[in-house]
Amino acid sequence: MKRPNLKIRKRIIFLMFLFFLIIIALIIRLGYIQLIIGEEYKKEAYEQWSRDITLNSVRGVIYDSKGKKLGMSIGSDTVVCWPDDVKKLEIDYSDIAINEENLFEEFFMKLTNPNYEEIEVVEQEPENKQTPKKIAKTLAEILEMDEEKIYEMITGDENYVTIKRWITIEQSKKIKEANLTGISLIEDSKRVYPHGEFLAHVLGFTNIDQVGMYGIESVYNDELQGVPSRRIVNTDSKGRVLPYGYEEYFEGEEGLNVVLTIDETIQHFAEDALEKGFNDNNAESANIIIMNPNTGEILAMAGLPEYNPNNPREIPSNINSENYTQEELQNIWFKYWRNSVVNDIYEPGSTFKLITAAIALEENKINLNTNFHCDGYVTQIESNTTIKCWRYYNPHGDQNLFEALQNSCNDALAEIGLAIGKETFFEYLNALGFGEKTNVELNGEAVGIVNNPDIMKDVNLVTQSFGQGISVTQLQLATAISAISNGGYLYEPHLVKNLVDQDGNIVMEKKPKLVRRVFSQDTSDKMLEAMKSVVSEGSSRSAYVPGYSVGGKTGTAQKVIDGIYAEDKYITSFVGVAPTYDPEILVLMSIDEPKESYYASTIVAPLIGEIIENTMQYLNVEPKYDEEELEKIEKSYVVVPELEGLTIKEASEILTNLGLNHNVTMEISEDTIVKKQYPESGTEILQNSMITLILN
Amino acid sequence: MGKPNKSIDWILLIFIIVLVLIGFMMVFSSSYPDGYYNFDGNGFYFFEKQLIAGIIGIIAMFIASFVNYRIYRKLSIVFLFFSIIAGLSLFTAYGTEANGAQRWISIGPMTLQPSEIIKVSSIIYLAYLLEKKNKVIHKFREGFVPVVFWIVFFGGLIVIQKDLSTSMVLVLTLGIMFFVSGANLFYIFISLGLLGGASYYLIIQEQYRIDRVLSFLDPFKYKLSLGWQVVQSLYAFGTGGLIGTGLGQSRQKFFYIPEPYNDFIFSIIGEEVGYIGAILVIVCYIIVIWRGLRISINADDLFGAYIATGITSLIGIQAFIHIAVVTSSMPPTGISLPFISAGGTSLVILLSSIGILLNISKHADI
Repeated sequence: MKRPNLKIRKRIIFLMFLFFLIIIALIIRLGYIQLIIGEEYKKEAYEQWSRDITLNSVRGVIYDSKGKKLGMSIGSDTVVCWPDDVKKLEIDYSDIAINEENLFEEFFMKLTNPNYEEIEVVEQEPENKQTPKKIAKTLAEILEMDEEKIYEMITGDENYVTIKRWITIEQSKKIKEANLTGISLIEDSKRVYPHGEFLAHVLGFTNIDQVGMYGIESVYNDELQGVPSRRIVNTDSKGRVLPYGYEEYFEGEEGLNVVLTIDETIQHFAEDALEKGFNDNNAESANIIIMNPNTGEILAMAGLPEYNPNNPREIPSNINSENYTQEELQNIWFKYWRNSVVNDIYEPGSTFKLITAAIALEENKINLNTNFHCDGYVTQIESNTTIKCWRYYNPHGDQNLFEALQNSCNDALAEIGLAIGKETFFEYLNALGFGEKTNVELNGEAVGIVNNPDIMKDVNLVTQSFGQGISVTQLQLATAISAISNGGYLYEPHLVKNLVDQDGNIVMEKKPKLVRRVFSQDTSDKMLEAMKSVVSEGSSRSAYVPGYSVGGKTGTAQKVIDGIYAEDKYITSFVGVAPTYDPEILVLMSIDEPKESYYASTIVAPLIGEIIENTMQYLNVEPKYDEEELEKIEKSYVVVPELEGLTIKEASEILTNLGLNHNVTMEISEDTIVKKQYPESGTEILQNSMITLILN
Repeated sequence: MGKPNKSIDWILLIFIIVLVLIGFMMVFSSSYPDGYYNFDGNGFYFFEKQLIAGIIGIIAMFIASFVNYRIYRKLSIVFLFFSIIAGLSLFTAYGTEANGAQRWISIGPMTLQPSEIIKVSSIIYLAYLLEKKNKVIHKFREGFVPVVFWIVFFGGLIVIQKDLSTSMVLVLTLGIMFFVSGANLFYIFISLGLLGGASYYLIIQEQYRIDRVLSFLDPFKYKLSLGWQVVQSLYAFGTGGLIGTGLGQSRQKFFYIPEPYNDFIFSIIGEEVGYIGAILVIVCYIIVIWRGLRISINADDLFGAYIATGITSLIGIQAFIHIAVVTSSMPPTGISLPFISAGGTSLVILLSSIGILLNISKHADI
């Protein structure tokens, strides 16, 4: 037999060479994949294996100062999906070669049979086999959602999607039973505000991911939220955890609870009164803040109109959402979410006269006996416009400081302001915190507008001394007047009392923060007396509450809209302090654009009186009656007379004369005899009390 | 001439055994999840089958190495019938349909892949033919036409089983034998040109065919369809890096790569033992090819030389295509890695062929 000749050998050697060439090419290619671009593939592979399971820690509770829950989280499942797992249901795993066969077969079929049409191979799917479509349908039924939309979500490009948050317990159960590929339930929680609109502007709300968006929820988001736990595991292509591979657990931190300085009961008093003021006056908006002037603690804060933080985008009932574009809706929401007390500035008007007076007293520019003469017009300075007292048609004449405040006389305050001087006035406004943030725990705080003395004219000084031409927030004003009423100490206003962990330990305590002392005790005492006299003698009599020594001041200011004074649009406000001998609370309430009357004395003062009375009783403040009050009380007591044996006609006449009412127990005629009476004769009772008569 | 007085090629034998052992290891590792989840918790399911096939194959190799290969020359017509029967057996009652293709026949508890039998039988028959036509091989009518006829015939036997990729491997192998035997290069180039032209024409006819062919250029574009396996394979290589994740530590075998013990076993090798391990496996193939072609050059007769060329090329081509597919260097197709991929028939037949090769080496003048 022949052995391979040279030609054949050459060809075999050539073949060997060719094979080695191919091998070298493959080795290079493999090196490129494994060593050069491999990192990229590795990253993607890790991504594909890894399931990052976030276990949200429960968001902390927001409590009022007495431990009542105002905002909390409740457990509720969330449906999530890994779309790759769902999409994989549609991958045909059968050998790739089959595709080639079809290609090949088709080619031959076409050659032999020109009429051959491509046959679409439709695999018969087993009944119980899950497909993305079926999963979408099942979910749509359980969750009452749009099937198309779910289908898009579960077959999308994302690695992980949330299908629906916070489903009901029944829905959770059904989904568990359905055992859908790629669909999981995650234990989640939902933010709930049990009292609805109550304290909404302070609490704020969270977005769908339970991240605080407004108010305390936003400012204390990190503390409330804690740090979510995470578990990262490697799984196989069907989502089963691998026996080995990367697994890591990141321990989270529990969210802290926030305890507010807000007192739920006082907040209720405030909100009730505010609602009355808002509705009765058909107002644009209305706001209230109640503080403890001695610490800066905010006891109540509210604004109307309000919203429900459980559903902050729920449109107010008087608005039809279909008439608005998304942007307009957004603006409406923003308007409702605004906390005007800190976010908006306004001209304080006459309430600001307290500030001017206190500065002048502190600087010894005036004393309690200084005489101020009102002739109806401010004549000391040159001005293009005439500055007049509000009662220029009937000037106040001679008055001391108390009288000037009682009269709310602009002319007198102008004089005081000029006595203080621009620089000193400005210094004090700064010292009282006007023109800067109070640092209360709310976001978007406005700073207000305070003129620098360099650019300030005398006319500005004059108008500002009675509260015009200066813009402040209501919180700034309340804080400054607190300083006047507490002996001169300016405290930083605050809403948060402390932070408490899940076991009830106080993690952080917020102590009253003294910013600086602005006034002396003497000035403070005098101003409290002045405020008291305004209520008891002056125009604000309707805020008077026997026994609780209310002090206060009204203020009505024209609204500034786009830089000019708006005609017939007023913000009317009242600031009250009680009791003046040792102030426990300070209340500032404002009503924006009251429609009927704009006099604070008639519309705001009575509400302040009501709040103060309720709050004083709630705080167990002993009423202290002065002599006048005692006399009045004395007068109102009567001694029940002896009525037994008299006819009903005689008895009734006697009782009516004494100012007492009576009722009877049965049908009577004129001359029925009184057999018995309650209370018995000789008892001291208040006028208008009821006497029960038992007849024969 | 003719006396089997020389020793067999021990180096070839050793490296074949090494490859078979690597195969046991890798089949065990890569098939464990599939066996565990799909065969009642039996992670050893595929490994056991591979082990049995390996033992049978080694015995067959041992026997074949003692059978004088020259006998096959006389039996060549029998091998031709073998091929034809094997090719048609699928269409008898024994044929089993799987994944929509006729590729297995069942005899008792055994399933056989006839295409594996056809491969070796056709190599032997073609070697016989080429030797017979030695003098006229470069001529068109007497050499080219009959040889090409038989090549196409054997290829066709596999095509009718709807196994295009295997038939491609076989046609290439037989074509190489023809080339080595001294075919007229002009005719070879002409036929290669015609084949290329025809394929190109067929492919550009339809957009989806172009897509399929080009999918390997950017498998990530087809990640969730055609490109899935290739992308997963690249992930495996990337994860493996230089030194690998460690034996048995593949994550891609957990159903990310479908049937990882088969047409994508090299990806798992790359993942578990890294670039270094993968190169060592490739080196084993280099040595096998080198020894095989060395035997061919030094064979005692043309028949032996052609058989050696055919068997070596078959192993080489399969290995190259397998590695090229898993590294996304060519359009995806399903070719197993010789001696390593799970598959009983393939392993037994391949080892038997090595037995023949060893016998040829015994008679070779090395």
